[in-house]
Amino acid sequence: MTNPVVKAASYCLFHAPDMVLTHGTTLMIERDKHPDSPLLAAAKEALRPFDQVVAYPPNQVYIGNLSPEELAELPQPWYENQVEARRQGRFGEIFPQDELIAMMKIADSFSLVILEEGFAHSMVEKLATHPLFTEQDLANLRKAEPLPAINELLEKGIAVPLEFEGKVVGCVKQAHEWDVNLRADVMFENLASKATGAWALRHLLWSSGLEPGLVEYIIDTSEEACGDMNQRGGGNFAKAIGEVCGCSSATGSDTRSFCAGPAHGIVQAAALVRSGIYKNVVVLGGGAVAKLGMNSRDHVKKGVPVLEDVLGAFAVLISVDDGKSPIIRTDVIGRHRIGTGSSPQAVVTALVTDPLSAAGLSITDVDKYSVEMQNPEITTPAGAGDVPLANYKMIGALGVKQGAIARTELDSFVQKHGLKGWAPTQGHIPSGVPYLGFAREGILSGKLKRAMIVGKGSLFLGRLTNLFDGVSFLVEANPGRSASASPEPEAAVTVGITLLGSEHGLEEVLRGAELAQKRGRNLKVVAIGPRCSTSLEVVEANSEEDQHRIMEELLKTGKIQACVTMHYNFPLGVTTIGRVVAPASGREMLIASTTGMSAGSRTKAMQLNAILGIATAKALGIERPTVGILNVDGALTTERSLRELEKEGYTINWAKSSRADGQAIMRGNDVLAGSCDVLVTDSLTGNILVKMLSALNTGGGIESSGWGYGPGVGAGYEWIIGIVSRASGAPVIAGAIEFAAEMAKAQLPKIAAEELAKAGLMEQDSADVVRKPPSKVVDQEIPGIDVLEIESATEALWQAGLYAEAGMGCTGPVIMVAAEDLEAAKQKLAELGFLNV
Amino acid sequence: MDMENQTRVLELAEKYGKDNVVVILGGAEAEASGLAAETVTTGDPTFAGPLTGVQLELPVYHIFELKDIIPEDVWDEQISMMEMVLDVDAIVKEVATYRERIGG
Repeated sequence: MTNPVVKAASYCLFHAPDMVLTHGTTLMIERDKHPDSPLLAAAKEALRPFDQVVAYPPNQVYIGNLSPEELAELPQPWYENQVEARRQGRFGEIFPQDELIAMMKIADSFSLVILEEGFAHSMVEKLATHPLFTEQDLANLRKAEPLPAINELLEKGIAVPLEFEGKVVGCVKQAHEWDVNLRADVMFENLASKATGAWALRHLLWSSGLEPGLVEYIIDTSEEACGDMNQRGGGNFAKAIGEVCGCSSATGSDTRSFCAGPAHGIVQAAALVRSGIYKNVVVLGGGAVAKLGMNSRDHVKKGVPVLEDVLGAFAVLISVDDGKSPIIRTDVIGRHRIGTGSSPQAVVTALVTDPLSAAGLSITDVDKYSVEMQNPEITTPAGAGDVPLANYKMIGALGVKQGAIARTELDSFVQKHGLKGWAPTQGHIPSGVPYLGFAREGILSGKLKRAMIVGKGSLFLGRLTNLFDGVSFLVEANPGRSASASPEPEAAVTVGITLLGSEHGLEEVLRGAELAQKRGRNLKVVAIGPRCSTSLEVVEANSEEDQHRIMEELLKTGKIQACVTMHYNFPLGVTTIGRVVAPASGREMLIASTTGMSAGSRTKAMQLNAILGIATAKALGIERPTVGILNVDGALTTERSLRELEKEGYTINWAKSSRADGQAIMRGNDVLAGSCDVLVTDSLTGNILVKMLSALNTGGGIESSGWGYGPGVGAGYEWIIGIVSRASGAPVIAGAIEFAAEMAKAQLPKIAAEELAKAGLMEQDSADVVRKPPSKVVDQEIPGIDVLEIESATEALWQAGLYAEAGMGCTGPVIMVAAEDLEAAKQKLAELGFLNV
Repeated sequence: MDMENQTRVLELAEKYGKDNVVVILGGAEAEASGLAAETVTTGDPTFAGPLTGVQLELPVYHIFELKDIIPEDVWDEQISMMEMVLDVDAIVKEVATYRERIGG
């Protein structure tokens, strides 16, 4: 039997301020009872704008940008101590209300949601590049009606309004004339739950890279009921949500137990995976419109903003053992039995200490407990206190009673094993599950060994029983003993793109970046450049120099694994391998190389280009790439030197020219025909080829096909920096980002090092080694030095005590030095005759 | 105090007479326990429930005040853990304030 593992977790929030007023039960009842109640106006006044909701620290924790530990360090009230407002996080995204309304429309299968034309069209435009929306979604959004048609439905009383910023932008119609379970307001609630659950699942699929078709079972654990008057609560949210996300191979069902639903769902998913029935099970829950503004009366009274202004949703993927992800211990399941009783003591014993002692563990063996993780800033003003804190105290107090910890250790137990709450009070949403993402990361990184997730539910609310409910499970580091054959979703790669420098403007680059993001499932694109309107994460940089500095910083710290840029100088020894489509055959061909310089001498450089080109082809998955040499000056010498390597045991799979002689020397015809996988050339000729082949269809002004000039590669070079030109259009930029991502995944630097070692080309010439001065940041270029003398010129500067690096600029070789050395270096180079003054 | 509990307290007081009813609270927090105590003595201060303007003046205690009269094993099983967790002094003080106002 396989261990079930927590493979991925996504968390999304949806801002819904107008729905607080129209569909939250607290204010809805107030409006019915006292239409002129001052509370209604005061609550409206106390609602927060979207940017404040994004910058609210607990919300940033929910999507993974802040840790619960960091939250605990921030001063309270958090609504007065905001942090950087970032919509996207590691675990999910915070969506504004207009996008939520669009989601409800897209998730609607019965034409119940009607959007106003102007609003719908603005949303089509807004969402066109968002990675979690498809062309089909946009087509659905386009089906809209004029406002008078919507007003007519509202006046007839057969629809409820969808409002945005106080204006009607659409409505939800009733689904039946008589049936109370299909009333417009009920459909509104259910569609909001379906839509929010669906987008959490879409985020999960997108961020984990799991093909939607591989999901086999979905468990919805929200708190809504869907059905008609003959089967209220008949279901099935799970399959309805899977349908919106393209999970065509999945089936599913709904599990309900008030707030304990998600924990029950995960235990069931773990069982289904462990038994071998399904390999990939998703447990999810959408948001509850009714709970919006639930405590707004108290918040308004105490001068607190109406903090219950978001819908929450989550999706968790439970899969077969991959030998790595944290496992769910199916032998340590806490359960509240029907006979357990409902005193807090009995509940905590049943959920926490009983299962732990059955497994021979003490309460201190669990690093972190995730209980009802409600944000205390919401519950305290309403008189419910700090809910997580109360729960931790109870676990600790039980530990004291059972002798696991001393009375005096109670406070430190709470500190060490507890967490500050951050989840919105959406019932099932805060219940244990919000921590699974952090638990997974903490366990994977070795920071945590085990975490316990506890879900509890108040069954008396349904007025069928006074019983309480709860279930708990333990998540633990994977012992790695049973790595199974399950297909591993590939890890996401983060690729940077610098925005400034294009002849076609920043918008063209951005369009390429967004295109890559939209197409790439396992890809996260980070823009480096000036602030601009985009769904991508932007790291601000306001000049080309700044962009390169920040790019290097992000590569150094591992925040990005690769980057695409233009006009970047590589050190000598590093050259770029371009990738183009051969126009006559549509075949892909690598051009080795296209910028930079692998060595100072032409034939040595072309020999190295061949090996680096082969390495890049192998990184693309071509096991035995065919190699041809472009018929340029030095081609025959290069071929001879490569045949020498063959004699020493290095295998080269030679290509055959399309011309009659069938030789490995490639002519212009072969370039068009794509007669080889790797075309070896000098880098200036290679550069011309990429430009011509990429701009073939546009008449030359803009490069519109291929993958650009490729990643820089060379002995000892560890970064993956892909190059595009100032003339590259959006499709080439998107291609370059994807190419860079592929190279990062395949670990191109490692493959290049292996290939160079095989060819025996790793050793440096040791004769006459000049000692380098201590390295400096070199940001000044000295052009005008002959390419054949560039190495000697660099060494001459070293001898003079000036740190310098040789590089290849777009227009030819350059020597790069620090600003303070610029004048001295120029003078020295002139003195020695390297530079004509 | 929620509407349903207010209704039940009112019904019991009417059925058995004010002198035959004692209210025992189990609230986890001082302010909420105080509000409940106020509701069953001088009336619902939130003006929302059936005890609005109804001065039942019922004797009211929090369970923490009754430790002496509860069998030790029951106390240990049902209450002792929460005794460690909650702010017992603050809760008792708040409930006593309202009880004392009616001279109880």
